[in-house]
Parts: sequence; structure tokens; C-alpha cells
Amino acid sequence: MIRDALAALRARRGRTVLAALGVLAASLVVGTSVTVGYSLATGFERSAERAQLPDVIARFPEQRLRRIDARVSALPNLETRSYRFEALNEDVSGNGHYTGKGAVTTVFEGRRGYTVVDGRDVRDGESGAVVVERGVAREWDLHVGDELSVEEHGTLRVSGIAVSPDNVAFPLASTARVYVSRAEHGGRVRPNVALLWLNDPDKADVTLAQARAVTFGLGKLQFITRTGVEILLSQAAGIVISLLVAFSLVALVAAGTMLAASAHAEVQRRLTGLGVQRALGFGPGRIAAQQAVEATLLAVPAAALGITLGALLVARPAAELLAALNELGPGPTGIAVPLVLSTAGVVALVVAAATWPAWRAARRPPIEILRGGDLARKPRGRARRRGESSGPLGHKSHPNEPAGRGSGLFALGVRFATAARGRWFAAVATIAVCAGVVTLMLALASLLERLREDPGTVGKRYQLAVQLDPSLIPDAERLPGVRDVGERYSIDAADSFRLGEPIRLVAYPGDHTRFENPPLAEGRRIQRPNEVEVGVGMADALGLKPGSTLAAQIPDGGEIRFKVAGIVRALENDGRIAWIQPDKLLATRPDLNPQVVVRLDSNSNAAAVTEGLVELGAELQPVGAAQTDNAAFLAVLAAVLRGVGLAVGLVCLYALVQALTVTARERRGAVALLRATGADAPTVGLVLAGAAVAVAVPAAIAGVVLELAIFGPAVSRLAASFASLPLGASVGQIALVIGGLLLLAALATLLVARRVMREPIIAGLREE
Amino acid sequence: MAAVIAATGVVKSFGEGRAARRVLDGASLHVHPGEVVAILGRSGTGKSTMLHLVGGLDRPDAGTISVAGEPVTGTSERALSRLRRRRIGFVFQFFHLLPELSGEANVLLAGRVRGAAPDAAARGQDLIDRLGLREVARSLPHQLSGGEQQRFAIARALVNDPPVLLADEPTGNLDTTAGAEVLRLLRAGAEEGRAVVMVTHETAAANIADRVLTLRDGQLIG
Ligand SMILES: Nc1ncnc2c1ncn2[C@@H]1O[C@H](COP(=O)(O)OP(=O)(O)OP(=O)(O)O)[C@@H](O)[C@H]1O
Ligand SMILES: [Mg+2]
Repeated sequence: MIRDALAALRARRGRTVLAALGVLAASLVVGTSVTVGYSLATGFERSAERAQLPDVIARFPEQRLRRIDARVSALPNLETRSYRFEALNEDVSGNGHYTGKGAVTTVFEGRRGYTVVDGRDVRDGESGAVVVERGVAREWDLHVGDELSVEEHGTLRVSGIAVSPDNVAFPLASTARVYVSRAEHGGRVRPNVALLWLNDPDKADVTLAQARAVTFGLGKLQFITRTGVEILLSQAAGIVISLLVAFSLVALVAAGTMLAASAHAEVQRRLTGLGVQRALGFGPGRIAAQQAVEATLLAVPAAALGITLGALLVARPAAELLAALNELGPGPTGIAVPLVLSTAGVVALVVAAATWPAWRAARRPPIEILRGGDLARKPRGRARRRGESSGPLGHKSHPNEPAGRGSGLFALGVRFATAARGRWFAAVATIAVCAGVVTLMLALASLLERLREDPGTVGKRYQLAVQLDPSLIPDAERLPGVRDVGERYSIDAADSFRLGEPIRLVAYPGDHTRFENPPLAEGRRIQRPNEVEVGVGMADALGLKPGSTLAAQIPDGGEIRFKVAGIVRALENDGRIAWIQPDKLLATRPDLNPQVVVRLDSNSNAAAVTEGLVELGAELQPVGAAQTDNAAFLAVLAAVLRGVGLAVGLVCLYALVQALTVTARERRGAVALLRATGADAPTVGLVLAGAAVAVAVPAAIAGVVLELAIFGPAVSRLAASFASLPLGASVGQIALVIGGLLLLAALATLLVARRVMREPIIAGLREE
Repeated sequence: MAAVIAATGVVKSFGEGRAARRVLDGASLHVHPGEVVAILGRSGTGKSTMLHLVGGLDRPDAGTISVAGEPVTGTSERALSRLRRRRIGFVFQFFHLLPELSGEANVLLAGRVRGAAPDAAARGQDLIDRLGLREVARSLPHQLSGGEQQRFAIARALVNDPPVLLADEPTGNLDTTAGAEVLRLLRAGAEEGRAVVMVTHETAAANIADRVLTLRDGQLIG
């Protein structure tokens, strides 16, 4: 059977190569998506595991080790603990680079909370050695054995390079972290950080509650949990990472559809052959089995090659991205498992898609298969009626005028393309998915662009903030291009229960979601002046839930209390931010001046509006977007997107040209016949154009609809745990995709028409 | 009267190098208007090849061919298209109707090609009536019998009123009755002043011919 299958594949060598290329192309997408998606999705867990990241990190003012350890070791659910002394804003320099924002971390005995990826760790009691964070080593090109000069400690030798996923990497994080041993201080050093590992990390809140109680009086205290760290990391990269992961998922689904569609089309094309086999006495099972063997032989090498190539294509950008996040890659063996699994998945999909229609078709009476291939499914009566209404070529509906002639030929082309419903549908589906993915790519790209400049993408919906006399707000509202103008109060307060926990209060009179719309994670929006929406970071730090009370100490004012209505996902100020209505705030601080924030129409000119505002006497204030540190990071992300996008783009191009050439090839006989009856090149071109348009136009429309209705919202939703992201394609982008598709269709038509016209007519006739 | 088909010294080989085979080796054919010529010969001797060359579907290696006074050899693809459109009608052994078009639409198709005869559509309808196909005009090819399909194919060949009709084993896939009907139609085509060349294996077909030629060793022998 295998020999038969090989012979069959060899006999239709051209089609085999074409089908294999299709599988290869889709596998390329799968390979890139799986590599990026898997590396990123598992990155934090994997690195946290390897680095033994603690479940809770507590920061406090320096304490005697004995005193703090007595309290910590009494905590419930505690597995083990260790301590650090962290000095911030230290001068660190090496290899010609310098920063004044060094975080010099003195590690005490016990677990470190980082993993050494090169060289060795500093030994307890060893002096003169330093471990540097990988981000610093990469950025400054430091290697094991190099020298590094660290404030107070002088020149130290780099003994190792470490990774800890408790923050993003330098220079994305502005602090350059290095680790030294306690001996560096001659042993005279007191910790200000405690690392806690718990027996049951799910019960961290119990431990935290107890910790808050027993450490009361230690002064300013900060906890961050492992989940909190994950959120912190996400603040820098989460949006785009989840976009990438989501994009990969969508690309996977798209590749699957394409595979299934093309395998299905191939079987449709070969129905006649199946009919002959049935007539020769083969059973449906036998035919399906043979089909399965053929599909397997074709799919295994193509899928393996495509997935490997795809993985290689994005391996570097994915590694860069992980490095920027202080995370570890899965390594060749780690990524091998998902890659092998996805190869198996692709093969299974191809085999199923090729075998199922063969099995179904083979069970029909042989003569039915033989007589009409996939055209023969309509009952006679219906076909007749179709014939009557068949318009374009019907005598009565089209009087014999030259204009009608052209449209008739065009319509014939449409008929060529759509006659075999299954094939047409497969081609349209494939190209539609591609067009949808390309549209999504464009939307993503412009989102990345906006992320750098436009705060709206991270939850803010206003574009301009000014200092302006509130009485002039109605005038500002009347400026052309202005959608909404409002007052915004913002003040940094402190939590009264745990003095020192900084919180930022943001107040809008009325509905704040008009200007700032952080996605709701839990609970509901505020409705009354005594309610508050708090950021996840703050809820995590203060142990807040809907229904609990937030008491804020206002500088130069009294204490005001709010009831937590909802928890929202906010990025600003590490999520230590809360939204309220201004009434209570103004009662205790009547002197507070609001900012005036301006929301623009989507297509208005910010510069013109700014000018108008300045004329009103406004003073411009910056609106914080993604931090400037992120520019480099966004560049890395863009590189990853480009890697994935390149693969997807190639696949789309291939799919389109393939669908059109296959349609033309399928109709070789028909084209030859037309030529035999005297059709010249323009006539044949017109027919082919009809065929191309019949595929390209519905595909373009379906593709755009797919993006707007499914891909965009799906990716946004998947990424929405961090912020609300507008991922709908713009009119320009949609026009670009549709126009591009039509252009490609025209190009494919031209190429195919030229090739067809060069071929001898009888060659085409023989095939029919 | 001048021959409407004039082919002289036609040479055609297939393959290259040592595998090359000279199928036609100086074949000549002259047919006058109103004449039916049958070409006989063993399978694989090159009968279809000769017909294709005369019809401008393929180009010979050597020799000259002209149809209705226009050159078929040594001319442009565009001129060949025009020739096929207005001067030549083809009938094939396997009918070659487009499967997605009804019989009627297949007939009218030839009249829709750019530069076809202006009255083609009217003649097509007329042919459908005359060939007794009105009943099944709206059926798709796979719903038609072989004889019906071949009659549609003949109607299609005649729709531009060409002076030359070329038929390659037009009865090869039909039973005796259907075959006889097809032969009658070809004969009728000749009565209207056309030159008809028919490749066949069957004596019945040869019987209606005015002249029977045999293709042997690459030459047409009277
Ligand atoms: N395109 C081609 N390429 C190679 N060889 C060809 C080609 N067309 C025809 N031949 C060869 O030329 C010879 C003549 O073919 P042709 O079809 O003209 O024969 P025929 O006389 O019509 O036979 P039959 O009666 O079986 O139809 C055959 O041996 C065939 O194999
Ligand atoms: Mg033949």
C-alpha cells in the first residue's frame, strides 16, 4: 500500500509538490507561532521555577537579622526564608559603561532567588566577587572574569551571570542589579528584604495577613507576591506579549483552516479517480486508507520541515524578547516537545482532511462520482432550474450585443471558479483567513506604534492634558476635532492603615470611563462619591476586595474613606492607583486644582487642537504613555512580530497565487477549448479575471469581516487582562488589504493567462 | 474550384533526440467546398495530429497549410485565433462540453468569444432547434446522453458558420443510431457548402464520405 501510495504521489508530481508546499507553508506559521507562543507563555513559570523565585518578597527598613528572623520564622505556611540587603541608586560601572541607578544586592545565606546562567554564584564569605544580572551583562558586554566597579566595594570580578524574573531586565528596567556576598561588608550588614517560600503558595494571603500583623511597627513595609511580580512584569510587556501569544493562537487556527481546506480541495479534484477505483471494485474503506497513507507520506516531511524552519525563523527574536523580560528560553529540548506535538497535529489534520471527504465520496454510487465529479451532486430538477436562470450565457436574458459579450465571458470565469463548490469554498476560506491575519497584523503594527505615543492604548482615552481655567472648558469643547473635555484631579496619598503605602487617587466629576477606562477585573464601576475602583497592584498590596474599605491619608488634608466597588487592571504607578469622584477629596482639599483633559475625535489633528487650546490660554502638560525605556523593548517586540508576520505574509501570498493558479490549471481544458473555438489572449484573460475575482473578492470581504468580528476581538480579549486595546482595523488598512488582494489577483491572472496562452492547445484538450 | 483546405508536405515529429518520432512525413491534403473527406488509418498513425495541424491547434515542423485562402502556417497566434473563430469548426471524440454550462450555453459560448460572427447567437438557437435539442437545451452535460452531447458539440462547431468542419472520430463514442444521426448532420453541413474532414475507424462513417484517404507511414494516400 505504501508503495502504491508513493507511486501515486510520484505520478502526480506537480500536484504533490504543490500540496507539500501548502503543508510546508502552513507548518511554517505553526512553527513560528508555537515557538513564540510557547516560549512566552511558559517563560515566567519556567524562570521562576529555575530561579526559585520566592512566593513573597517583603521590603522593610533595615533590621537586625535576629529580630526580623524571629518574626518571619514564626509565620504560618512558611517553608523557608532568606534575606538580602538592597542598596539602590548606587554607582556601578564597567567596560566603559556607567549607571547611577545600580541596585547592589547583598545576599545572605540560604536560597538566592536567582539562577546563575553563566560562571558561578558568589560564595558566602567570599569577597571581591560579584554576580551581575544578565541584562546588564548583555547591555555592557560583560563576561565572567571581567571587572566591575561598584560604589563602596571598589573593583570586583564578575564570577557569574544571573537571571531572576522578579523584574524585567536592564535596560528595560532602569536599575542595574548586581549581587555581592555578605563578606563584602565585613559581615556588618543588616537585611532590608526578606524572601519567603511557602508550603502552599495558594494560601499566600494567610501568610501575608499574619505578616502584616506581626511586623506592625517595623515601619514602611512592602509586600510583593509572586503573582504580583508576574503582574509587574506584565506592566512592561504584558500587553504586547499577550498580543503575541493571542496572535500566535489565531495564526494556528488560520493555518489549520488552510490545511484542511487545501487537503479537501485536493480530494475534490481527484473524485473521478476515486470513481474509477470504486468501479474497479475497491471498497470505500480501502480507498480512504490509501488516501490516508498518501496524505501521511506527504504531510510528515512537509510538516516537519515547515515547523523546523518556522521555529528557526523566530528563535532569535523570541530569545531576545525573553532576555529582555529576564526570562529563560525553553532550550532546544524544551521546545522540541511542543514542536513534535504540533507536527503530529498538522499531520493528523492533513490526513483527516484528506481522508474524510474521500471516505464520504467513495461511499456514493461509483457512477455518480464518475459522471460529474463534484459537480454532480445537485438533483436534476434543481440543475434545470439553475440552467434556466443561468443568465449570463442564456439566450433570452442577454441580447446579442457586444457589451453583453464581455460580461458573459467574465461571468463564465466566475462560473469556472465557483462550479466546484467545495474547491471554491476552500480557496475562499484559505485566502479569507490569510487576508484576515494580514489585516490583524496591520492593526497590531499600528497598535505597537501608538503604544509608544498614545496613552489611549494603555487605558487612557484622552490625548491632551492642559492647565486651563475650568470656566473655559465650554470653549475648549467647541474647538473642532475635540470630542470631550473634562476635569481630572490627581493626588498621591498614603494608605492610613499601613502608613507609607503610596496610592494615587484620580478623580473625575461624573463618569471617569469617558477619559480613563481601565478594564474591570472584579466587582463593578463606582457610582457614588463614597466608592472607589482600585488597581490590581494596590488591591494586591493592601489586601483589598470589593466591599472592603480604603482609607487614604491626603497630604495637607484629612483622611477620607471609600468603599471598594471594583478592582481594575491598571498599569500606571505600578497599579497603585484608584479612581474616585472628587466630592470627598475636594471637601478636605478645597484648594486642589484640576487638570483639564481633552479627548480628540479619532481622525482629528492633535497639533491643530493644541494650537486652539494654547490660544485659549492653556498650558500643555505631558500625558504619560509607555515609558521611554520601553522604546527598545518595543523594538524587540516589533522584531518578533515581524518574524511571525513574515511567515504569515509568505503563506498568504502563496495561498492566493496557489488558489488562482490551481483554478486556472483545473480549467486548462476549458481554456484550451475556448482557444480552439478561436478565443484570443484578451478573451482568455477576461475569463481568468472572472475566475480570480470570484475567489479574491469574497475572500477579501470575508477576511476583513473575520478580522473585525473574530480575530481582532479575540486577540483583544486575550490581551485584555492588562488593558483595553482597540484592535479593529482602520478603513485605510481595510482598503489596503482589499486593494492588495485585488492587485495580487490581477497579477496572478496575468501570469496565468500568459502561461496558458503559451501552451499548445492540444495539451490542454488532452487533459480535459 | 479552389480547395478550401490546402495542406502540402506537412511534417510533424514528437519527442527529441533519439526518442524523436516523425509522425507525419510529408502528408498532403486538399479539400473542396461541399466535400466530405474521411481519413482512415491504424491507431497511432497520426490522424488526430493531422487534423490538429489543419485546424491550427498545433504547428507543423515543415510544410504549408492554408484554410479558406488564409495561411495557417507561419502566421501569428492572433491570426490563428481569428481563423479558428471564423473559418474552422471542431468536433471532438470526447465532445469536450464545459461541464458547468448547459448544452445551450455551450453552443452559445463560441458566439461570445471576442470577434465571433455577429449573428452567432441567433444561429445557435436555430441549430439547437434543427438538431432536435430544444428539449434538453438547459441540461448540464453530465445529464445528457453521448449522442446529445455530440449534437451540441456539432451545433457549437457550426455556430460561427465556418467554411471548414473538422471532426475527430465524432462517432467513436456513440452507438449506431446516434452515430448515424451525427454523420447525417456532418453530411448536411457539407451540403451547405462546407468542407468536412472526418477522422474515423468506422466503415459506416467512411461510407458517407466523398473521398476516403488512409494515413500510412506519415503520408495521406488516396
Ligand atoms: N503531444 C504529444 N507528445 C508526444 N507524442 C504525441 C503527442 N501527440 C501525439 N503523439 C504521438 O503521435 C502519434 C500519433 O498520435 P495521434 O493522436 O495523431 O494518433 P491517431 O492516429 O489519432 O490515433 P487514434 O486512432 O488512436 O486516435 C502517437 O504515437 C502519439 O503517441
Ligand atoms: Mg486520434
